Amino acid sequence: MKHYRILGKRVEPVDGPVKVTGGARYTADIVLPGMLYGKILRSPFAHARILNIDTTRAKGLPGVRAVLTAKEIGRVPYGFMIPFGYPDDECLLAVDKVRFIGDEVAAVAAVDEETALEALDLIRVDYEELPAVFDPDRAMRADAPLIHEEGNINARTSVLLGDPDQGFKESDEIFFDRFEIGATIHGAMEPHAAVVSYGPDGSLDVWAGSMGVFSKRWEFAKTLGIPESRVRVHKTYVGGAFGGKIHAYRFEILAGLLSMRMSRPVKIVLDREEVFTSTWQGFPIIVELKTGVKRDGTLWAQDFRLIADSGGYRGCGPLCTFLCYQWHCSVYRIPHLKYEGFSVYTNHPVRGPLRGFGHPQIRFAIDSQLDRIAGKLGIDPVEIRLTNVRRVGEVLPNGDVLLSSGLEECIQKAASAAGWKQKRGKGGNRGIGISVGSCLSAAAVYPFGSAAEVRANEDGKVTLLTGAAEIGTGTETMLAQIVAEELSVSLKDVHVLSGDTDRAPMDIGQFLGATAYTTGKAVAQAAREARDKLRDAAAGVLEANVQDLEISDGRIFVKGSLQRGLTFSEAVFAAMAGGFGPILGKGYSKVMEGTDCYPDVRTGKGRYSPAYGYSAVVAEVEVDTESGEVKILGLTSPHDCGFAINPLGVEGQVEGQLSMGVGQAFEEVQWEKGKILNPSFLGYPLPTSLDLPEMKAILVEAPDPGGAYGAKEAGEATIAGVSAAIAGAIYDAVGVRIRKLPITPEEILKGMEANRRKGFKGDKTG
Amino acid sequence: MKRLVMLNVNGDLYEVAAPVHKTLLEVLREDIGLTGAKEGCGLGECGACTVIVDGRPILSCLSLAVEAEGKQVLTIEGLAPGGRLDPLQKAFLEHGAVQCGFCTPGIILRAKVLLEGNPAPTRDEVAFALAGNLCRCTGYQKIIKAIQGVGQTIAAR
Repeated sequence: MKHYRILGKRVEPVDGPVKVTGGARYTADIVLPGMLYGKILRSPFAHARILNIDTTRAKGLPGVRAVLTAKEIGRVPYGFMIPFGYPDDECLLAVDKVRFIGDEVAAVAAVDEETALEALDLIRVDYEELPAVFDPDRAMRADAPLIHEEGNINARTSVLLGDPDQGFKESDEIFFDRFEIGATIHGAMEPHAAVVSYGPDGSLDVWAGSMGVFSKRWEFAKTLGIPESRVRVHKTYVGGAFGGKIHAYRFEILAGLLSMRMSRPVKIVLDREEVFTSTWQGFPIIVELKTGVKRDGTLWAQDFRLIADSGGYRGCGPLCTFLCYQWHCSVYRIPHLKYEGFSVYTNHPVRGPLRGFGHPQIRFAIDSQLDRIAGKLGIDPVEIRLTNVRRVGEVLPNGDVLLSSGLEECIQKAASAAGWKQKRGKGGNRGIGISVGSCLSAAAVYPFGSAAEVRANEDGKVTLLTGAAEIGTGTETMLAQIVAEELSVSLKDVHVLSGDTDRAPMDIGQFLGATAYTTGKAVAQAAREARDKLRDAAAGVLEANVQDLEISDGRIFVKGSLQRGLTFSEAVFAAMAGGFGPILGKGYSKVMEGTDCYPDVRTGKGRYSPAYGYSAVVAEVEVDTESGEVKILGLTSPHDCGFAINPLGVEGQVEGQLSMGVGQAFEEVQWEKGKILNPSFLGYPLPTSLDLPEMKAILVEAPDPGGAYGAKEAGEATIAGVSAAIAGAIYDAVGVRIRKLPITPEEILKGMEANRRKGFKGDKTG
Repeated sequence: MKRLVMLNVNGDLYEVAAPVHKTLLEVLREDIGLTGAKEGCGLGECGACTVIVDGRPILSCLSLAVEAEGKQVLTIEGLAPGGRLDPLQKAFLEHGAVQCGFCTPGIILRAKVLLEGNPAPTRDEVAFALAGNLCRCTGYQKIIKAIQGVGQTIAAR
């Protein structure tokens, strides 16, 4: 085990001081001279034709500077940042139809927010309501109202592995279950916002908190027709993202359009209701799972049918259906698998990635059925998972190689730390359940890699320039640790300049589990190059050979001769005066050398990720048999992050995922014909400090040879298993098998009543 | 129709011209330029706008600026005069209780009031005090430990 000075140590977040003193700037905090305030007019109908829009009165309101509709801007195609070969099916502003309640129809810029809101009320839109469809099963039928001309199935992933028909014949037992998982929301505390400023020189400045500033820059450039090099995405801290703030939403680009028209900065801040109704939601998913197993619990054959409800537009539906397949394959070994995943239009808001991106949904289905299988076969749920999980060295069907895997260790540690054997099957309305999870560590998405720069300054301190964004996951801290380690300086002597597209040529982003894995490598390389240059510069002054020089604690000195040395500051000055030049190190890391493209999301073929983070989750619950309410008594999760650069930070990630996972198990978006009935924190309560038990985060390290210092992702594998573990615990407690998320007291009480009628608790036999 | 509103914020006196229906949060952020208090929901449901007024935690998105006249308003920016961090701020850093930081100002101020009235709270007492402050990032565990840690330090003295 390698020993480091600062890597692997618990360090305080370097962005902490600015955040605890109120000095951290988030997008809504940005104020620019001459700034206008924008608001968006949204469709009140789930499905309707736009007959006419009259903006005369709005334009005439004093203080209103611009009103845009499709008439002014034309049909401007828009879609998810990776199209996967599908045409854009959305427009910046709706042209002839609206397809969900919230669909953007007009944009207004005014001297203040109140005026902009008043202007919205003055815009008259004549709609002709069309029959809508809200159920994805129904939307797939031939007689369903067409949301888009081409049909309501907007993407499909089809994979055939082995020979499932034969596999089922060879199976000892066959099980079938259907699961329904509802929509959830990210719930980031910071509402979405954008400030966009178009300059007289044709440049565009953007402040819009993002998990990937280069993706955002690209989307602005592409949609507005401005060259990438003239678009700058500035650093803002991000008040939580969880997958909901990656590329640019329509309202952000509209702020850009408004700014271009007015040559003034435009700020649009969504209110909380808009965040609920008009930003991405987690995909509602239906899973129909037929599984054949051997008597010893080995999964043998599977027919996996998945329907993802992408909402009124395709969005990243094609990616969702692929990822659900890929996550599945990264965890269990299924020799014979038929997977059919459909992304389907309904007249709902557009769905998008939400921490885990499909994995929490499918894990609930797969592992709930696996628990049922285990029960029928008389096998312990922990054991049946150990039988079927992937092991290090295995090659996934798409070609990804598991060069590292701590999954087995996670399962074993979860079970022992939580006291599985002592608590399972003990009754008293208490139960314990277990599940697992995985997540990618980098994928080949524009800009396909990260580049970084490290500079040594006259004051002897070091600057890191990176395009990585600090969204709360500890990016700045872990990258600063890497620089501090390689240059042997203290953490406080590393200054991080991050999250700005002008500061670095590229960064892979913070939405692919790639910050440590990929950006970490670029930063390490940059730091090492800076270190080598310091040595080279000092060698001249000290009249020593480079090989004889050591660097430690901000000094370069001759080995064994501490006093014969220079401080960093002296070396930098000497380099300047002596013509050696600036002490500047550059680093670059490409995701997956030798692969230049993303897998084929229609067939699941092609390499996806060089490494996977893994996790197990054990949940302990107590069920109130009168009310059906569930109290979470305990949560334990080992997470294999390869190498924990900052164990304090990784712990924070695991605890955060556990709490968000509890949320996902119980949070419910309440719908009525495409309208969200509860678009507020009162109606859609997130877990509070009163709702969570003591959470045990356990760090497991199965270092990956491809990651920086062996590090992999640390932010998403755990959340995948939380709902399933809770559902498994509920079954252990009261013998009720939940097949729907969110878990509701009604379902539990119904299940208990059914048990009473049957005369026994638990799954029906067969 | 604007009128002059006199506010004492972090020990400084401000004279702001604002309509009477403007909230304390809006005036702090837009007129005075103190953006540490955040708008998370605008409905008093998330606690991100929490400031301290005359020693009590207030949801500034639900208070009118005029209601704060003649009172002492303390925002997160006023907690560390001269740059010396308050023990709560230090504890949040030590315990890794800050991730995205958006809920942090509101929670620190809420905790400050708790500790002033109850210097050594139990875990449950801290959890109860924070029930009106939402955090989506941390799961509250390190936040509660940080606050209890400060309590224990006070108790030890």
